[in-house]
Amino acid sequence: MTRILHVALQEYRRHVFTKRFLMGLLSVPLIVLVMVGLVFLIISMENNTTPLGYVDHSGLLANPLPAPAPEPPGKPAPMLAFADEAAARSALEAGQIQGYYVIPADYLSSGKVELVYVEPVKTAARQQFYDFLTVNLLRDTEPAVAARLLEGGEITVVSADGSRSASDKTWFNSLLPMMAGLAFMIVMFTTGGYLMQAVVEEKENRTMEVIVTSVSPDQFMAGKIIGDLAIGLTQVTLWGLFIVLTVLVGSNYAEFLRGVQVSSQAVLLLGVVMFPSIVMVAALMAAVGATVTEAREGQQVTGIIAMPVWIPYMLMALLIQNPNSPVAVALSLFPLTAPLTMFIRVGMTILPAWQIALSAVIQFASAAAAIWLAGRALRLGMLRYGKRLKWREIFVKS
Amino acid sequence: MPAIELTHITKSFGAVKAVDDCSFSIEKGELFGLLGPNGAGKTTAIRCMLDIFKPDSGSVAILGGAMSEAKKDKIGYMPEERGLYQDIPLDRCLAYLGSLKGLSRSEVRQRSEGYLERFDLAAHKHKKVKELSKGMQQKAQVIATLLHQPELLIVDEPFSGLDPVNTQMIKDLLREQRAAGVTVVLCSHQMHLVEELCDRIVLIDHGRVMLYGDLAGVRRQFAGNAVLVKTGCDLPALPGVERVEPVNGAVKLHLAPGAQPQEILRALVAKDIPLEQFEIAVPTLDEIFIRVVQGKGAAA
Repeated sequence: MTRILHVALQEYRRHVFTKRFLMGLLSVPLIVLVMVGLVFLIISMENNTTPLGYVDHSGLLANPLPAPAPEPPGKPAPMLAFADEAAARSALEAGQIQGYYVIPADYLSSGKVELVYVEPVKTAARQQFYDFLTVNLLRDTEPAVAARLLEGGEITVVSADGSRSASDKTWFNSLLPMMAGLAFMIVMFTTGGYLMQAVVEEKENRTMEVIVTSVSPDQFMAGKIIGDLAIGLTQVTLWGLFIVLTVLVGSNYAEFLRGVQVSSQAVLLLGVVMFPSIVMVAALMAAVGATVTEAREGQQVTGIIAMPVWIPYMLMALLIQNPNSPVAVALSLFPLTAPLTMFIRVGMTILPAWQIALSAVIQFASAAAAIWLAGRALRLGMLRYGKRLKWREIFVKS
Repeated sequence: MPAIELTHITKSFGAVKAVDDCSFSIEKGELFGLLGPNGAGKTTAIRCMLDIFKPDSGSVAILGGAMSEAKKDKIGYMPEERGLYQDIPLDRCLAYLGSLKGLSRSEVRQRSEGYLERFDLAAHKHKKVKELSKGMQQKAQVIATLLHQPELLIVDEPFSGLDPVNTQMIKDLLREQRAAGVTVVLCSHQMHLVEELCDRIVLIDHGRVMLYGDLAGVRRQFAGNAVLVKTGCDLPALPGVERVEPVNGAVKLHLAPGAQPQEILRALVAKDIPLEQFEIAVPTLDEIFIRVVQGKGAAA
């Protein structure tokens, strides 16, 4: 066991303290930061703090309540009242306001207002005016009712067992497992890639022959798998921490980040479907590494493994629209497509327990088979230089 | 009890018989030469000894029985294809390889310091292996092989890429190991070094044992009926001499069947020829090697 840990530690240290790993590690936070930055940029471009004018013929805004403050990072645009349209137009032409609304005398019956502008008024400013108008329309309504009306309707869908709920405001909860699934897919291929690279490198730099006189091929493979899984775990833990931090900080600014919940099924899937899948793919990649003669050749072969893994991603629309269709169930049980399918589905539906159990059994069995295959491939292919090990030989040779 | 005993082992790869019914044993504490031309089956034989390959038939006993994980710690193997991690510093590479042989971190540090000093690598221990010269990497590989103080040392071409100073250092080291009771198996094409170092040899060709035994006996076996004579003057015709062959400033007198070296010596003395050297001509290992692999020698 100590030797296995030595192999694992060596594998871990070799990769984790490299520029390549750090770049990969920083890539996700960087992408998130860029995306957040872009959102803020778009919102700030939407923000126009030049006042909005209005000419009120209805008398509804004679003695107005102030407009509610917009959600950060939106900035308020002051509302300026004008006695008549001529004054408002002069202010518009002078650039003192970005536009003005004309509220007709029959507004309460027609529900129509007129917006006059030179440059189109952005959505954020228009929304602010509508909120201003709504607040004043509701000024004589009971405060609690007014507040409810201002918040708008919200339909919450609750699962039959009461364990899950979803609404317009918690759409992020449905998206979260899908995002986690994709993150784990990256980890899966990072781990597998490292493992394949490690095996090919041990062959290429001829260290394999020295190593196998110290440890058995099985110990060697076990150490490599543990080391590379630890790398994946490091990656996903740090990404997870970053995402938690982002959600915590972001919930102060973005409504969809408030009340984020991770379903217990998603957590269960991590352990019983995603974990064995990562081991399975890593072992398959190691087996590929043992059969090929150079890393480049291995990368071409791994495409065959990667393709089915990403099929659920290509069928995402179908899985989201009908997460309990026979196709979705079938993909949830097939070893290579199960992890991503399950993570897409769990955001959209309650997965039947039998499907999780059956998928878990299949995944663990597949992982065990993949480790066996990798061990055999390593034993037969570890000292083959310049000549590929045929897959037929792995099964046929004694 | 021999350190290694191969009994009728055969190993094939497809239609190619890499090792064909090989039997030989290596005694404890001896320096044993494993010889053979390229592709003769030496490496396959070593891999069978080390349990990297399972022989198709026959048996291998190493350190008194079948290979086990515990025995691996008593064996040091330096393959012909050198294998060190290129992207990590030398000291870390040695620490890792040492740890796989069951050494603690402090043992590795303590032992490697001594070897690094001895091999002039102490100043380079923090450099990545790939930054070291070929000769330095060769010496580093030797250190990695010796670090755990093995009982059995198998070294394949340990002198390749080394200058005369480092060659001498490795020679001294192998002698030291033998003196310390370590069994050393030396696989090399440099016959003069094998001749210089080894007690016994086995020569494999086409997977079969062609020669096996102590070096002096093997040389005697291949010694023809000839004498080596060095003199300052021209040699007259001598009775019983069939052919005269110049060899490095001396002459090799090939004797007729039945002729004895003593008769030649008596004739030379009788003719008052001043002799600088007179000895029975024994072939070098190089010559024996060439004769065997070219089919002029019999299988053992």
